[in-house]
Amino acid sequence: MKAVGARLPRYDGVGHVTGQTTYVDDFRVHGMLWAKALRSPVHHAAITKLDTSRAEAVPGVHAVVTHTDVPQLEYGHLSGLGIPADEPLLAKDEVRYMGQPIALVAAEDLEAATAGVAAIEIEYEERPTLWDVREAFDSDAAVVHRWGNWYPHFEDEMDRRQIRKGDIQKAFEDADHIIQGVYRPAAIEHVPMETQVSMVVPESDGRLTIHSCTQAMYFSLGVISAHLQVPLNKLKIVGGTVGGGFGGKVDTASETITALAAMKAGRPVKWRWTREEEFLASSTRAPWHMEIIDAVTSDGWILGRKMLTLHDSGAYARFSPYGLTKHSFHHTGAYTIPHLHFDGYVVFTNRVPTTAMRGFGVTSVSFAVETHMSRIVDELGLDPYEFRLKNANRIHDTSPNRISYTDPSTVDVLQSIAGATGHDLAPAYAAATREPREGEWLPDHLVDQISTEGH
Amino acid sequence: MNITVNGDELEVRSPGLTSLLRVLRDELDVVGPKAGCEAGGCGACTVLVDGAPRRSCLTAVAAIDGAEVTTVEGLGAADDLSPVQQAFVHYYAAQCGFCTPGMVVAATHYLDSGGSDDRKEIQEALRGHVCRCTGYVKIIEAVAAARGGNFDLTTTAEGGYTTVMTGDAK
Ligand code: FES
Ligand code: FES
Repeated sequence: MKAVGARLPRYDGVGHVTGQTTYVDDFRVHGMLWAKALRSPVHHAAITKLDTSRAEAVPGVHAVVTHTDVPQLEYGHLSGLGIPADEPLLAKDEVRYMGQPIALVAAEDLEAATAGVAAIEIEYEERPTLWDVREAFDSDAAVVHRWGNWYPHFEDEMDRRQIRKGDIQKAFEDADHIIQGVYRPAAIEHVPMETQVSMVVPESDGRLTIHSCTQAMYFSLGVISAHLQVPLNKLKIVGGTVGGGFGGKVDTASETITALAAMKAGRPVKWRWTREEEFLASSTRAPWHMEIIDAVTSDGWILGRKMLTLHDSGAYARFSPYGLTKHSFHHTGAYTIPHLHFDGYVVFTNRVPTTAMRGFGVTSVSFAVETHMSRIVDELGLDPYEFRLKNANRIHDTSPNRISYTDPSTVDVLQSIAGATGHDLAPAYAAATREPREGEWLPDHLVDQISTEGH
Repeated sequence: MNITVNGDELEVRSPGLTSLLRVLRDELDVVGPKAGCEAGGCGACTVLVDGAPRRSCLTAVAAIDGAEVTTVEGLGAADDLSPVQQAFVHYYAAQCGFCTPGMVVAATHYLDSGGSDDRKEIQEALRGHVCRCTGYVKIIEAVAAARGGNFDLTTTAEGGYTTVMTGDAK
């Protein structure tokens, strides 16, 4: 246990402060080409013409790749879990968000690559766009995804992530107060200081060496292998140094397309996104629309919760179904509520595809739940700590998906915060513990919530 | 054109309007300065030009013909860290490290020109240097502590670095 309590220096700290740490963009190889992407200038359109012949003739251009070069055009980020794919590596007959990559040009230098992109002939027929997840959810909204606006492939081909627990009807009949709120956190761009970048080197033994800034090397390896239909033993991925990711570098954003260009050109290729591209086309944290309706007693017990969540997936599914699943498991926050009725939808819009960011799917619901807890406190004139302590998760309480808690920290955290902020707790609350409920902490409505199974 | 980079006088062949950042990284292979935005907005490319901090992405190389350029590589090496570099390691002021080359250069200039350990002044001096990882607190702590220069890095038996306080900074 040498590490516990010890002050351990970062193993890479000295490299960072001396400029010796090598990020992907710091690698150079002989004969390397630079890549530039043709990205959609519109938010939603049919592609009616795509001709790269003039681009291929631009001096210095070695390869132009489009959808026709991709062995397996669609491979979903969750294909490994059996979830169907919806996103083409390079746009084929339509674009669904501004900045979507359509072609990549690899050339002697960036100037030639940029000239190549400008020489691609492309025409669009614009289509209606949807920006707001709540509007996109409406049944009369314009349809922006071939699956419809609601992701339809949850288990048993359900169009929602649904949780039902207890008897929601009874909870609302028994309630003294019904308190509702709507919570809508906005999209957030991760803004890593290092923009998306990859460099792919075709080796003389037929392998590809892929330098990547990915946060998830082996995951990316699978995605590259599937799109390119190249076996894993022909791919070597070099990563590990990430110039900031925060979740935004789990999507395999650039390396597959760079690899495709390197294979076609037979030369090493580097593709580095500009800051503008990063803002325009890289994934963001999702915007969410969350509605909570709670059945509450006058003395501060939450009997039941109805919740509707709309998770803005942007143009394609990527990881959103997974993020929403995590979200659903956490929709009671750090509290135990016996009667639940949760419906969550992954909804498509014309925003950039959204993805993980620091607590994928959970930060949104934590924000909504805690804000809602404060709303209940305000409306009923309760003590904010005591209301939370009362409903706090305790050992052997069960979560929305019936996991029995073995190590919940809510009670201790609340008491510590009360202590640190000088908030006086009534003696019963100051003495509360996380031990399994009994006596006054075990009202009738929580009796069948206690379980030692299922953790 | 010629520029002196970290003590080496070097000939520059890139066109005069090429940014100093591109010259350093692409022509001269000095990759410490980072391209965070290439638009003057992030500070990761900051170097000293004749002793003053400059955003190398906005500096046309022709404009500094004959100048002395110091990048993060010129401030100290792994076995000979400068006080600012030591402090950044000790206070965990570098996480992903991508902003660090610019931060270290700017902090070095601030302290060398008599900057104090006042948190507000440090904040002011590092304005326009964006870090997405650390939340800045540790960076500011490191710069303040470097003012005192009262800690030291020594090598552990395992070959890693450990930090040993030699003064009474916290
Ligand atoms: S790269 Fe020069 S300020 Fe960002
Ligand atoms: S340490 Fe990552 S941006 Fe500053």
